[in-house]
Amino acid sequence: MKASDENNSSPKPAAEPTASGGSVPIWIFILTLVLLFFGAVYFDRHSGWFDKQIYTPFQSANELALYQPKSGEAAMIAHGKAVYESVCGTCHGSDGLGKPDQVPPLAGSEWVSKDIPSLVRVPQLGLNGPIKVAGKDWNLAMAPMGAGLSDADLASVLTYIRQSWGNRSSTVSADDVKAARTAISGNAPSAEDLAKMTPVERGHALFQKYGCFQCHGQDGKGGVTNTNAKTAEQVPSLIYVADGYTKDELIAFVSRGERVIPRMNPNGPEPPHFMPKWGPIINTNELSNIADFLFSLKPKGSDVGF
Amino acid sequence: MIHWNKKILVAGLLALTITVRADDAMDAATKARIDAFEKGPATIDVSKYPQGIQDNYAIFSQKCTQCHKLSRPINSDYALPDEWSRYVKRMMRKPGSGIDSSDGKKIYEFLTYDSSVRKKALLDDKLAKLTPEEKAADEAKIKEVHDKYDGK
Repeated sequence: MKASDENNSSPKPAAEPTASGGSVPIWIFILTLVLLFFGAVYFDRHSGWFDKQIYTPFQSANELALYQPKSGEAAMIAHGKAVYESVCGTCHGSDGLGKPDQVPPLAGSEWVSKDIPSLVRVPQLGLNGPIKVAGKDWNLAMAPMGAGLSDADLASVLTYIRQSWGNRSSTVSADDVKAARTAISGNAPSAEDLAKMTPVERGHALFQKYGCFQCHGQDGKGGVTNTNAKTAEQVPSLIYVADGYTKDELIAFVSRGERVIPRMNPNGPEPPHFMPKWGPIINTNELSNIADFLFSLKPKGSDVGF
Repeated sequence: MIHWNKKILVAGLLALTITVRADDAMDAATKARIDAFEKGPATIDVSKYPQGIQDNYAIFSQKCTQCHKLSRPINSDYALPDEWSRYVKRMMRKPGSGIDSSDGKKIYEFLTYDSSVRKKALLDDKLAKLTPEEKAADEAKIKEVHDKYDGK
């Protein structure tokens, strides 16, 4: 009996008190996430990621590097990189890899690590025709993009490309560039010769100097292929510019260049050649002489009667 | 966070590329002008023009749309024979334009005629700003086109 009493008749204890069913308000979650987010952004921007060399007021390794005095080779390479990005990088790429079938790479190119005089020739005179780069055959043209750079600027760029992307070659000094340029321009007219010339003759000499012929052909007669360009896949000839431009319009066009060349097939590849922006490179008097020369190219008897 | 930074970086670079590209292609003022021209009407009612000019309009419509919208020349601020002669030749001399000098002349005649009717105010304004010699030369060219086609 007793046992059964104990088993059956004792009253159940009252249930433990529980918290009522309200959940944490959603705005607390959102606020926490937002705060975490901004905290993390702040941390990312200001902490230097626990690098022991970085402390207030510096916030990142890059910023610290910015304040380090630069001298000698490091300064030269930093400057060379800046010039490279503005002059060469558009085509050869920040990674030095070029573009498939359009622009040869500089990374791993034997031309970059070649002797300095051969290397200087490329940006100084441009290129046209077949060339083998890193085991691959290319047949394109390049305008002499470096012809307008100072000896020091060109030396910095060449040093930069010789020591980037796995290339490991010697530095190039401004004196190296100067010597190479002197050797190249052995039979180019001197400043005194230029001064004695007529504007048209001077324009012709400048047409050669700035390598316009590399893409527009000798004496502007055309003939260089520009794959998938709307202009019949050719870099235009220049012999009729006198018909289509006033002198001011022509000078403005050459100064501005034409970065985007319309495509023959809209879905096809970007045409490899475009008109560089010559304004910063060729001065106003020279541009005027070049325009005079181009106007002189119009064939006699080619008037079309309107 | 790295991911987030990358997104900002990509958006920034994209914006920069677009800006740089537009800037490189042509100066902003020229681009704005062309955009404004292209927003205008893309056809001209030539039913009151002489038959020869109507025929030339057909050539103009066919040749010029190979490369750009017809609304560009139709609404452009060129009106002088000298301007049209230069621009038609500039386009005609592009490799592969498919415009020979006889088509070029017809296109030039159409544009000169059309400007002297549809853009009369602009044309007079432009003529008034020329030197007397230039003005006389341009007026002679307009007259030449009208003499050739009017009443035929």
